[in-house]
Amino acid sequence: MGTYILRRLILMIPTLIGITFLIFMLVALSPGGIGASLRMGSGQMEATNRALFEAYLEDRYGLDDPAPVQYVRWLGRISPIKFGQRDMVSPRGERLRPPKPVKDPLLWRLYADKLPPVPPLDETPLDDRVREYRRANNEYAQKRAAFIATRTQLEEALASYAREAQIAGVLTPAGKIKPDAFGRRVTTIDQSLASGKIVVERGAAHLRSWVEAQVARERLRRAFNAKPFPEAGFAIIPGVISIAWPDFGVSFSRNVPVLDLIGAALPVTLLLNLIAIPIIYMVAVPSGLLAATRQGTLLDTALGSLFVALWSIPTVWAGVLALGFLANKHYLGWFPVTGLHDTHAANFSFFPHTDADGVWHRGYVLDTLWHLCLPVACLVYTGFATLSKQTRAAMLDNFNADYVRTAKAKGVSGRDIVLRHVFRNSLLPIITMFATVFPAMLAGSVVIEKIFTIPGMGSLILDGIHLRDRELVLANALMVGAVNLVALLLADILYAVADPRITYD
Amino acid sequence: MARNTTNTAPQSVSGVALMQGYGVREAKGFWADAWSQVLGRPRAVAGLAWIGIVLFFAIVSPFIASGHPLLLREIQDGQVVRTTSPLWEHLSAPDILLPIAALAGLVWIALPLSTPRSRRLAVLLLALLQGGLIVVTCNLVGAQFRKPYVPDWMRTLQLRKDFIPIAAGLICLAYTLIFIAASACDRWASRIAVPVLVGLVCWTVITGLGGVGVNRWNPPLHTFNYRQREARGEVEAVYTLIPFSPHQRSTQLDLLPPGTTLKEGLGDDADTVAGDPVFILGTDSLGQDVLSQMLHACRLSISIGLVSTGIAVCIGVTIGALMGYFGGWVDLVLFRVVEIFMAIPVLFLLIVAAAVLPRNTYVMMAIIGCVAWTGAARFIRAEFLKLRGQDFVQSAKAVGLPLRSILFRHMLPNGVTPVLVDASFTIAAAITIEATLSFLGLGPVDQASWGRLLADAQGQAGYFVWWVAIFPGLAIFLTVLSYNMVGEALRDAIDPKLKKARV
Repeated sequence: MGTYILRRLILMIPTLIGITFLIFMLVALSPGGIGASLRMGSGQMEATNRALFEAYLEDRYGLDDPAPVQYVRWLGRISPIKFGQRDMVSPRGERLRPPKPVKDPLLWRLYADKLPPVPPLDETPLDDRVREYRRANNEYAQKRAAFIATRTQLEEALASYAREAQIAGVLTPAGKIKPDAFGRRVTTIDQSLASGKIVVERGAAHLRSWVEAQVARERLRRAFNAKPFPEAGFAIIPGVISIAWPDFGVSFSRNVPVLDLIGAALPVTLLLNLIAIPIIYMVAVPSGLLAATRQGTLLDTALGSLFVALWSIPTVWAGVLALGFLANKHYLGWFPVTGLHDTHAANFSFFPHTDADGVWHRGYVLDTLWHLCLPVACLVYTGFATLSKQTRAAMLDNFNADYVRTAKAKGVSGRDIVLRHVFRNSLLPIITMFATVFPAMLAGSVVIEKIFTIPGMGSLILDGIHLRDRELVLANALMVGAVNLVALLLADILYAVADPRITYD
Repeated sequence: MARNTTNTAPQSVSGVALMQGYGVREAKGFWADAWSQVLGRPRAVAGLAWIGIVLFFAIVSPFIASGHPLLLREIQDGQVVRTTSPLWEHLSAPDILLPIAALAGLVWIALPLSTPRSRRLAVLLLALLQGGLIVVTCNLVGAQFRKPYVPDWMRTLQLRKDFIPIAAGLICLAYTLIFIAASACDRWASRIAVPVLVGLVCWTVITGLGGVGVNRWNPPLHTFNYRQREARGEVEAVYTLIPFSPHQRSTQLDLLPPGTTLKEGLGDDADTVAGDPVFILGTDSLGQDVLSQMLHACRLSISIGLVSTGIAVCIGVTIGALMGYFGGWVDLVLFRVVEIFMAIPVLFLLIVAAAVLPRNTYVMMAIIGCVAWTGAARFIRAEFLKLRGQDFVQSAKAVGLPLRSILFRHMLPNGVTPVLVDASFTIAAAITIEATLSFLGLGPVDQASWGRLLADAQGQAGYFVWWVAIFPGLAIFLTVLSYNMVGEALRDAIDPKLKKARV
């Protein structure tokens, strides 16, 4: 059993990589690609500023790399085994990585013979390591932004040069330069052209900013190596291999660590499901039991038909009808329309109470339950059919077993046979159903959360997709995939535990 | 021989009569037996009846629910100068091909021919597939040419007068040749005749007989000003049963409750239109007739269910067959792929795919099909694992049959039953998924859909539009329920183990 579980756990890794890769590539290949929502923020700016802003964002989030490279980089971050220098953990809990290298200046061979030398750092002692790190970090960010700004300006100059010199095939349809094609096509800049002069001027500025960025990077690296903050994880071979908690990064669209977002959303979804699943069991198991004992009667058929009918009701329809008739003020208006809490819930007492004026307050707990009524109702009804059918089938299987005949022959009462013998033996496969019910519920709650505007995992996933937020989408895919794989594994293990005839070795 | 001649038992039966086959009942085939068991269950029959109704409207809805008049007489100085049929001119190629296919198919199956019905059914399915592929390809190619920015050669090509007949002809010819090569018929006559006939009919309809009639390559522009012109006395019009098109919009007519008439909806402008038709099920937030949309959405619902399940079964059977037959590392690797699709909630993957891919019906079918195949793959894998050790497979291997033949001709017919039973539930699931995606605003654009209507129910400013919630929702529910009932009945009929455990 132990080897089986270990084997399954190891096989989970390629599956999880497959899941995240599939979803990442889908999002990356979509129109706009990763980070489309970030670029939307620049819609109001004029062209020059927008180019600058976009270049800055692409540099900051690594969006200028091809999608597979971005994915592999993400894998490296979430891998618990890290290679090379260890990250540091800032007091805010964010990961601080060694500074990124500065790229070579754009097409520098066109306007310079060789890259200028980078002046060495002055050996001033570091008095306050934390302050020095923060200062160096800020400075490097500024210099990097300036470097990207000069590159963007140089690109524009190159584009107008290409237009003036009439070089074909180096411009995109939008009028931007294709640097690789330009570098292949052009070896010297014709300075007699007006735009040629500008190219050389901007090239010189670009080189200057490159040198400054290199200096700032050196300084930051020195500050980083002085280890102002504690390091993440622990080393196995110092400086080469270390083990650290996976880093899920910071959401693009909300600038909050992804784990914090998931940490806020997951309890909501779990709450929904942990209320819904016991309800399913409490309804489905007794009715399955009832149907099995009265097999072939009207009750059996009626229960069966009812559950199939419930199973066939689309969740969206149930949600819309419940919202419309039960929650809408123009109809019954018994339940709240959206959200998980009242707007004033923060001021509520925890339990219901009656205050000095004799006014009854429902309190936080009842308020939450009241908000949960409709979503939970829409979540549970589809689950009855499968579970009650399973219970019924398991019971009927056991009715034909020898031990039942023996019990009957001994003169055990019918009630005792059903409840103490048959039901107990049928119970184990029913319990293992939990492992398969749970992933289905997790998926079902996406729609419910959307309809009832509940800030759970479903809403988070939808937001991440709509905003093309790389970190959010990938972390969510990993979370949901891992939960489901563990549930599948748990189901298999529980089957073996419940039924000693099943072995996996 | 004698079994059909006498109803009353004779006094004595001679040995000779017994030898001649007296009293022998021919055993029913496996599927015929299952089918008659399904027909014995009233719930399943009701389900089949509902699916039949939806299918009927999927075929005829363009003819009974259209804002274009059946007949339009143009009048000048009290004289009828011209009579046209805007309804006919605005029909798309599938609108015409579907009734033709339905009629021809019914006749083909019903005719007392010597070829067995199952074989004829296979021919019919292939013909439908060919026609469908031709229409889809023509649509896609046409859409490519209609894009706003096309290269110059495409524009000049498109302006040529013979472009449409030639382009459509090439597409029809290509598919005809493919289907002649892959036909299910043994006899050469029908092997060639059916694909050629289908290709010819499609070409005739799409090009309007090479340009003589109405060509249906480009979708026509819709303007619904017939009633205004009639009120001004320019034309006389005869309308169909439900005189509204699904995409006939008017901001004046938004959210009218069921039973409102056009003139009531227009209020002060009632005099500008002629005639006073009723919005039987009201209108949605864009002022489009709900009933007309629901009828036109039948086609989407039926086709999404069938096509995406077809795709899912094809993918699932192929991958499952490879896993089950080879086992070992093939199984290990491919099962990881299955696991990937099992571990992501289907809806999650679909939402990602639908949010980022182009929004049209074909893509929708493809993505539902590409996500829903894991069930079929697992069933086939389990069956093939059982079958591969059996003698008939071993002997097929020993004879040296090609892998394709072993897998699909010998093993598949023995292991496909659970997949076909499961397909009914997959269809139901696909319809639910389509409704959910359309509800979330990720469905096909410009296509009437039950789910999209449902999304309209949470109207603006907190008003709940009950008629937009109840009727389309009921249609989805009944369709899903029907497929589930048929599936249940089929499963009980086929799987003797589950017979005692029916829901």
